[in-house]
Amino acid sequence: MSGESTVDLRVPLGRGVELPNPVGVASGTFGYGFEFEQLIDIQRLGAIYTKGTTPQPREGNPPPRVAETAGGMLNSIGLQNPGVDHVARVYAQSFAQWRVPVIVNVAAATVDEYVHCVRVLDTADGIAGYELNISCPNIAHGMDFGLDATAAGRLVGTVRGATERCLVVKLSPNVTDIAAVARAVEDSGADAVSAVNTYVGMKVHLAMRRPVLPNRGTGGLSGPAIKPLALAAVARVRAAVRIPVIGVGGIATATDALEHFVAGADAVQVGTASFADPRACLDILDGITAYAQRAGLARLTDLRWQPAPLPA
Amino acid sequence: MSDLRRSRDERGAVVRVEELAGGLVELTAHLPHLAATARAGEFAQLRCGDGPVPLLRRPFSVAWVDGEHCSFVFERVGAGTRLLAAMRPGDTLGSLGPLGAGFTLGDGMRTVVCVAGGLGCAPFPLLARQARDRGASRVVIVHGAATAARLYPAERFVRGDASGVEVVESTDDGTRGHHGLAVDLIADALRGGDVDAVYACGPNPMLAATAARLANTAPAVCEVSLEAPMGCGFGTCLGCALPMRRGDSTAWALCCREGPVMPMQAVDWDALRALPPAHVA
Repeated sequence: MSGESTVDLRVPLGRGVELPNPVGVASGTFGYGFEFEQLIDIQRLGAIYTKGTTPQPREGNPPPRVAETAGGMLNSIGLQNPGVDHVARVYAQSFAQWRVPVIVNVAAATVDEYVHCVRVLDTADGIAGYELNISCPNIAHGMDFGLDATAAGRLVGTVRGATERCLVVKLSPNVTDIAAVARAVEDSGADAVSAVNTYVGMKVHLAMRRPVLPNRGTGGLSGPAIKPLALAAVARVRAAVRIPVIGVGGIATATDALEHFVAGADAVQVGTASFADPRACLDILDGITAYAQRAGLARLTDLRWQPAPLPA
Repeated sequence: MSDLRRSRDERGAVVRVEELAGGLVELTAHLPHLAATARAGEFAQLRCGDGPVPLLRRPFSVAWVDGEHCSFVFERVGAGTRLLAAMRPGDTLGSLGPLGAGFTLGDGMRTVVCVAGGLGCAPFPLLARQARDRGASRVVIVHGAATAARLYPAERFVRGDASGVEVVESTDDGTRGHHGLAVDLIADALRGGDVDAVYACGPNPMLAATAARLANTAPAVCEVSLEAPMGCGFGTCLGCALPMRRGDSTAWALCCREGPVMPMQAVDWDALRALPPAHVA
């Protein structure tokens, strides 16, 4: 027991970006930070991963857009956002005043659109990097790139050629082999991966004999219910790549976050937990720091589990 | 538009859980910040239980404020409200609030009419007091329910100081008051004199009917309190979209941030009526 604050919380993410601590907030659960700025001290966070930002403004999907499930929630927001021009011209001015690194989540339907978004955002200060959303389950073509390792690699390679900024790729769990997609984006120049986006799910209303959510009836499942699935995905991705892995999925407490570090994460994102408890991300930061100090850890990655090789 | 800087996450002791007739429950807790700041029509996100089920908080209008205590009225429609109803004095209640945009109360208002359908009674005890605090001399509350037992007790709208408050009741089955719908009583309430505002809260079909009745004779302020399935309650998850008219088209507005109180004529009532009730999600 050291009792001293000797733990080094910093996370080098690549391209000169160093997160001051590993606790970020997940895209789609924190907007662009402006609401939470009024509720908590967002400058203490390791990073803000913004709402998915698209080439044009989007109104979002018809309601109902959210539905609660056992220990989780489904959402089908449909990437409602003001568009990349507004984010670069207006929001980034605030980001530039903030201490917390802001990583803009970018979502688009084609390679050219991703490149366009990144080029527009590159003109603005205050943006530490990009998180490529190749895994949105709630819009047409949202997962096209995320489901296929070759397509994902080609996309990341092209975007890599368009920007010098740090490039995180958010992986879809709705695939047969998430490790293959992770390897492909690493090989194409991604600086880090975040794992995972939401799982496709459905809630049925029996009396109405139909799904609660409109359109195809499906949405993205998040919350404590997906933590075991996310941990398994993080471990698989960790084993497949050398770049940093950002664990996301079911993190509502410091213990949940620490479990992600054991599974292989270098940093984490707190998502749905922020809805029920706006302070959750800061409580988790305090909790994991206290744990690391009690345990005498030099770095949180010292928690990492080293899996034994599979028997032949 | 709500100002989140007025909101606070606070925890306080439950002091009372009252079982009213017809399945209505009124819960009162020590929540000093909410009590000091809540305006009629604003809401709080209440934590229901301590575990991951239910995961999300539930939004409730602030029904009444007494000193440092706030009251909420609800019925057991799902897991969250069942847990709230099972709370006992001394249990700790988590509240994030006040949230949302409340009713517009102007200083020059003399007579206001409230239309409350069923659980839509919730914001009106506080509104009746705050309207009179702002100088209103007459508050007419038109309150309808399916049957007499499900009417919110009239004395709870006035809370000891009945001066200037009239409660007019209707029931679908005729067991008390007017035999029919609350909206049938709106014309009478408006006839009583110059009405400065109409505020309504209740099921969407009732609100749509109210808006239709007022289409030609609307007072300056006509507002409805709406609901939608909500994730966060403070404008981040973008889950609680409501269909609102913007010029000739319909656009989504967030119930938690631009509402829950909306101008009656700005609501796209056809689109709203096509949606399932909020508690379905």
